[in-house]
Amino acid sequence: MHIMEGFLPLEWCLVWWAVAIPFLCWGVYRLRRVLDADREALPLLGVTGAFIFILSSLKLPSVTGSCSHPTGTGLSAICFGPAITSVVCMVVLLFQSLFLAHGGLSVLGANIVSMGIVGPAVGYLVYRALRDTRVNLFFTVFLACAVADLVTYLTTSLELALAYPAEVGGVAASFGVFFIIFAITQVPLAIIEGIVLALVFKYIIQLKPEIISRLRIFPDGAIRAARGEG
Amino acid sequence: MRYRLEILALVAVLAFILLFLYTTAVMPGAEFAGSDSVGSGQIASLTGREMESFTPLVPQWEPPSGEIEAALFALQAACGGVVAGYIFGRWKGESERKGPD
Repeated sequence: MHIMEGFLPLEWCLVWWAVAIPFLCWGVYRLRRVLDADREALPLLGVTGAFIFILSSLKLPSVTGSCSHPTGTGLSAICFGPAITSVVCMVVLLFQSLFLAHGGLSVLGANIVSMGIVGPAVGYLVYRALRDTRVNLFFTVFLACAVADLVTYLTTSLELALAYPAEVGGVAASFGVFFIIFAITQVPLAIIEGIVLALVFKYIIQLKPEIISRLRIFPDGAIRAARGEG
Repeated sequence: MRYRLEILALVAVLAFILLFLYTTAVMPGAEFAGSDSVGSGQIASLTGREMESFTPLVPQWEPPSGEIEAALFALQAACGGVVAGYIFGRWKGESERKGPD
């Protein structure tokens, strides 16, 4: 999902930075609030952030004959919301811009918007829509994580389509072209990422159910049922 | 079932590997390049410009070789792994000290 350095015109770099910065500020504010309220949230933040580091470092082959990264942002979005997730993503994307030539400083804003903001925000909406229903807790986590991954790549496609509308068909035609490159490649990766993160969430819920309950991430009944006690 | 998710994850990984083997079989020319650079190539063909004419807006260090890039990606994953392992271990220790609930 990285837009490469130099491949986004300056005006679009500025637009996406302008979108990202208020969100990042809100994220830093939320982060302080959450950690001040409950120090036990810190290890959970560590685990969910760690999986962003792990999954976004993997380039996996896909059906289109190219490779792409999972994002790993879903768990963090579920536990802490998209604002805090955007701050964690900024750290990862900054590392990749500085040392890996994946993305870059001028396109960092655009990459934060796709991986750190829009993807996690839509994943979060999926989780919120399903949280208080009878849908299985792990399925909710799976779906939210897979959607966060997929929407990240849809956003990248849209960012590129807006900057490079096709001569025939404009933004929509151009979006179709980038959609095939990014989003189709991503479908199998999103599914596997969703399953892996649901498994990680199972271990979190087995080891530390009280933090999931205290941060009101899932209702107590669903947590008990997921631990096989209900 | 106790290990339902683990089994599901294993099946998914196996399916993923089979899909990869199938892809390599039906697309013998596939390079498995990063989708980032495939996307950039598409930008070049949409605009009719050469790939080389897209120069970084902000000067950028690039890993001198694919091996070094792989090492740095491994380092990123290792950092995540250490943090996740440490915290899971701590939680496990805490829950064992408290006794089974």
